[in-house]
Amino acid sequence: MSLYASAVKRPIMTTLCFVAVAILGLFSLSTLPIDLYPDIETNTIMVMTSYSGASAQDIEQNVTRPLENALNSVNDLKHITSKSRENISVITLEFEYGKDIDVLTNDVRDKLDMVKSSLPDNAENPIIFKFSTDMIPIVLLSVQASESMPGLYKILDDAVANPLARISGVGSVSISGAPKREIHVYIDPARLEAYGLSVETISSIIAAENRNIPGGSFDIGSDTYSLRVQGEFTSSDEMKNIVVGSVNGANVYLSDVARIDDSLEERAQQTYNDGKKGAMIVIQKQSGANSVEISNKVLKMLPSLQKRLPSDVKLGVIVDTSDNIRNTINSLVETVLYALLFVIIVVFGFLGRWRATLIIVITIPISLIASFIYLAITGNTLNIVSLSALSISIGMVVDDAIVVLENVTTHIERGSDPKQAAVHGTNEVAVSVIASTLTLIAVFFPLTLVTGMTGVLFRQLGWMVTIMMIISTVCALSLTPMLCSQLLRKDNKHGRIYRIFFTPINRGLDAFDNGYAWLLTKVVSHKTVTILVCMLIFIGSVSFVRYVGTEFFPTADDGRLGVNLELPIGTRVEISQEVTDRLVKEWRQKYPEIMVLNYTTGQASSDNTFASLSDNGPHIVSMNIRLTDPGDRDRKITEIAALMREDLKNYPEFSKYQVNVGGNRGSSMGGQATVDFEIYGYDFNETDSVARQLQRALEKIKGTADIRISRSEYQPEYQVDFDREKLALYGLNLQTAATYLRNRINGSLASQFREDGEEYDIKVMYSPEHRTAISDIENILIYTPSGGSVRVKDVGKVVERFTPPTIERKDRERIITVSTVVNGVPMSQVVEESQKAIDQMHIPVGVNIQLAGSFEDQQDSFRDLLTLAVLIVILVYIVMAAQFESYTYPAIIMTSLLFAFSGVFIILYLSGHTLNVMSMIGAIMLIGIVVKNGIVLIDYISLNRERGLSIRSAVILGGKSRLRPVVMTTLTTILGMVPMAVGTGQGAEMWRPMGTAVIGGLTFSTILTLLFVPALYCIFAYVGVKRARKSNRKNIQKQPK
Amino acid sequence: MKAILITFDQAYYERIVTMLEKNNCRGFTAWQQVQGRGSSDGEPHYGSHAWPSLASAIITMVEDSRVERILSILHEMDVATPKLGLRAFTWNIEQTI
Repeated sequence: MSLYASAVKRPIMTTLCFVAVAILGLFSLSTLPIDLYPDIETNTIMVMTSYSGASAQDIEQNVTRPLENALNSVNDLKHITSKSRENISVITLEFEYGKDIDVLTNDVRDKLDMVKSSLPDNAENPIIFKFSTDMIPIVLLSVQASESMPGLYKILDDAVANPLARISGVGSVSISGAPKREIHVYIDPARLEAYGLSVETISSIIAAENRNIPGGSFDIGSDTYSLRVQGEFTSSDEMKNIVVGSVNGANVYLSDVARIDDSLEERAQQTYNDGKKGAMIVIQKQSGANSVEISNKVLKMLPSLQKRLPSDVKLGVIVDTSDNIRNTINSLVETVLYALLFVIIVVFGFLGRWRATLIIVITIPISLIASFIYLAITGNTLNIVSLSALSISIGMVVDDAIVVLENVTTHIERGSDPKQAAVHGTNEVAVSVIASTLTLIAVFFPLTLVTGMTGVLFRQLGWMVTIMMIISTVCALSLTPMLCSQLLRKDNKHGRIYRIFFTPINRGLDAFDNGYAWLLTKVVSHKTVTILVCMLIFIGSVSFVRYVGTEFFPTADDGRLGVNLELPIGTRVEISQEVTDRLVKEWRQKYPEIMVLNYTTGQASSDNTFASLSDNGPHIVSMNIRLTDPGDRDRKITEIAALMREDLKNYPEFSKYQVNVGGNRGSSMGGQATVDFEIYGYDFNETDSVARQLQRALEKIKGTADIRISRSEYQPEYQVDFDREKLALYGLNLQTAATYLRNRINGSLASQFREDGEEYDIKVMYSPEHRTAISDIENILIYTPSGGSVRVKDVGKVVERFTPPTIERKDRERIITVSTVVNGVPMSQVVEESQKAIDQMHIPVGVNIQLAGSFEDQQDSFRDLLTLAVLIVILVYIVMAAQFESYTYPAIIMTSLLFAFSGVFIILYLSGHTLNVMSMIGAIMLIGIVVKNGIVLIDYISLNRERGLSIRSAVILGGKSRLRPVVMTTLTTILGMVPMAVGTGQGAEMWRPMGTAVIGGLTFSTILTLLFVPALYCIFAYVGVKRARKSNRKNIQKQPK
Repeated sequence: MKAILITFDQAYYERIVTMLEKNNCRGFTAWQQVQGRGSSDGEPHYGSHAWPSLASAIITMVEDSRVERILSILHEMDVATPKLGLRAFTWNIEQTI
């Protein structure tokens, strides 16, 4: 027995089956975590190798190159980039998306093992480091403090960071801006020399004094006692009285040669929140943990943490990534609900019956809810992609049910019993319902096969829609007939309200039908004219293509701005802070949209993982700005960013500045697009000059902003050139001499001071006033092994030099990247203009320029999507050809695709959107959606012809009777997309182009399809008839008389 | 004894079987899916793309006395829903075993 017959026979079983699906789906929904994007697996691995003492060029030659050569043979490698800096080489391997990163990591490890032996002896073992989106902090907290500032680190560490780190899922909590306590032993070099002591001796004496040593255990009588020496300092003052030596029989105390300063570390990052000094707490999640859940827990915990803090310490939230996620998801949920409402209104308007509307509409929640089961099983999340899939599908899942309901109604009207009508009515359309679903699956299933970045995003979309389509078809073939048999009545009596409302609607629809029939008679009589007019419109619309710009992803307005400012290298942190303070005051006044503004400057300490990942230094200021919600302000985030860039031009103090929309620059989704120009070439001077030339050229192009050259400025520094021969004369080597320098200036870590379970560094170094001039360095005394001493100036020279910058390489060649943010104009325009500029530039031999950045990603994705489109067109053609058992009909139907694409371009042009990945996806979906109209039309026309009608009347009658179903299913799809296309909520920028593209393409193609396809059908049908007649005639002539 | 051949749109099937039962006609033979079309009007029942509907056929042998009654009930059904299509034909049974 068929599915629908048993469904009609057993209504209880059918109902309960779907109830079970709904319950399972709702249960799955309750367990689904919320996130912004589907899980994007990491695709980068970093290999870090340190080789202390080597310059950037040495590192490049001896470490980076051999490693690169070995690693280049790892499978699925897309790009290999490296940075060779003083002391360290960082190689970043970028792989194709969607590959198993664990396997790749093992491959990388194997390759490293092979090449390790050829690295320099003193180079440390390469460290593998997997970078992922999990590294991006999920919550940034601001801390304001006044009196508690000196002890802030300990307060925050005890009362905030530790409790937060205990929340499950929280990866690391780092505190920046609050300097740690450190005990300095500031040495006076003159006194030190007078007593014949050195920093090293003092350092080792402090280490030797600050000890607790167990002495073992011993027995007294019947008891056993343990013996211990408790020498650890209990207060820093104790150190003053350490004896560090003796001169002429008198003890020399530490206080004689040094000053003990129990304070904070000297060089620390400073953080200012809303102009007040304070700290920043950075919370990162464990990989795979759910951001929204964690940030909820963190935010819930804050009030209780606040209570434990001193009254002057105030916690606040700078960035809460989950806020954006929640808002985006909420606005998308709203979109889905609006789509549902619109679809219900359309269905009701066309059918005019509550019961019929109910039967149709019930398939929507069931198909949608069933897809949650898929999400839960595969461990996915509710995110932008899965929710847009729901929004897209709402208008399409009802189509099958509408077809079934319509045919069942016809049967009932002919006199069948609802039960019989349900079975036979469904039976008649089952094949075409399945076929039309197959065409849609032919579109969405290939989406699951896309590779690369786009693949990661749209795999879920493909699966979701495919599953919803299948469920909706199953629903249409079982639940819909069952409900029809139960709910529909043989003779429909309409109430008064119905007559008042629906008489005009029906009259309008009838007039519409008749009008279309009249138009069709004209079209059929003037086929060539119709086709010419349609083709002209198509060709005309193609000219819009030139005016529609392209970009990768639309810029999302998440209310976050990241500003990176750089002062000339070597600027003291106080100066940076002062200039920034002025800027902040100005911005605060100019932009009332700013909710929170926080900035950090200064050298990050090495144990702050988050800070040390990004550029830092006394001359670098990084600023986080949170704006009010997009709905609450008039200026868009890109406008504000552009204005800020203008403001920054008035600050000559900043040598470089960047305003990044979305917090990060050139991040693949959401942020403002960047165009990167990669300049490959070995010679530093040549590539530098090309980069500068290019920068000047780019500045002249409209729409560029924040142009940045990746190679950092040549860094001025003092170097001590030791004379090796002289050193050898004194029995010294370079390392010993250099260590002397380091211990005096940077300090030597003597020991650790313990208090309340915490450890603080005790550092011995020259006091600050004795390390302010070159002469201070020159006068450093180095003790020789023979007991003598020599000054630095006697064995070497202190010179000022500019060190070579960090050497960047990509795909094993030296590279400089000049990158520009694209602002206000489509990316394609900037690319085109800059290409022209590059063509005019004089580029030395051996240097070449390549485009990368978002542009490269866009090219990759567009290529993927175009291949996909071709694949989909072929698949759809196959499905249709199989259904119609004909090669011509599908080809006729396919012509509606042309109009769909022109519709997309026209609407993109009119609405000012660009062609980006989202609108491309919209266009691809159109392939499946628009052919459905053609299928319905051609199917019915050919049915009419089989029933014996002439071509002309088959076309006109068929067209007239199919107009309503076509318009109805089209309207449900279009109106289902409208909330997406006009959405203003957070994140709406992302899917607006997609909704717009579908609406434009579908509207345009439906209108033209309704005229063009019948005309084309007539032409082909006449040709077919003529051919048949000819062969008939031949057959007759052949027959023997 | 007379034979009645009833050919009709599938949708009638259950109603006709019930009707026969009510009129004490125990025996019948049915073909669930047959194709055909009326001599004068009505939609063909071919089960094809153009004419998707299908017909069924029932042949039953009844006592002469019941023939009139059954035919009249069938006629009522046909008149009530003329678009579906229902026809009945009778002839004499010469012999049975």
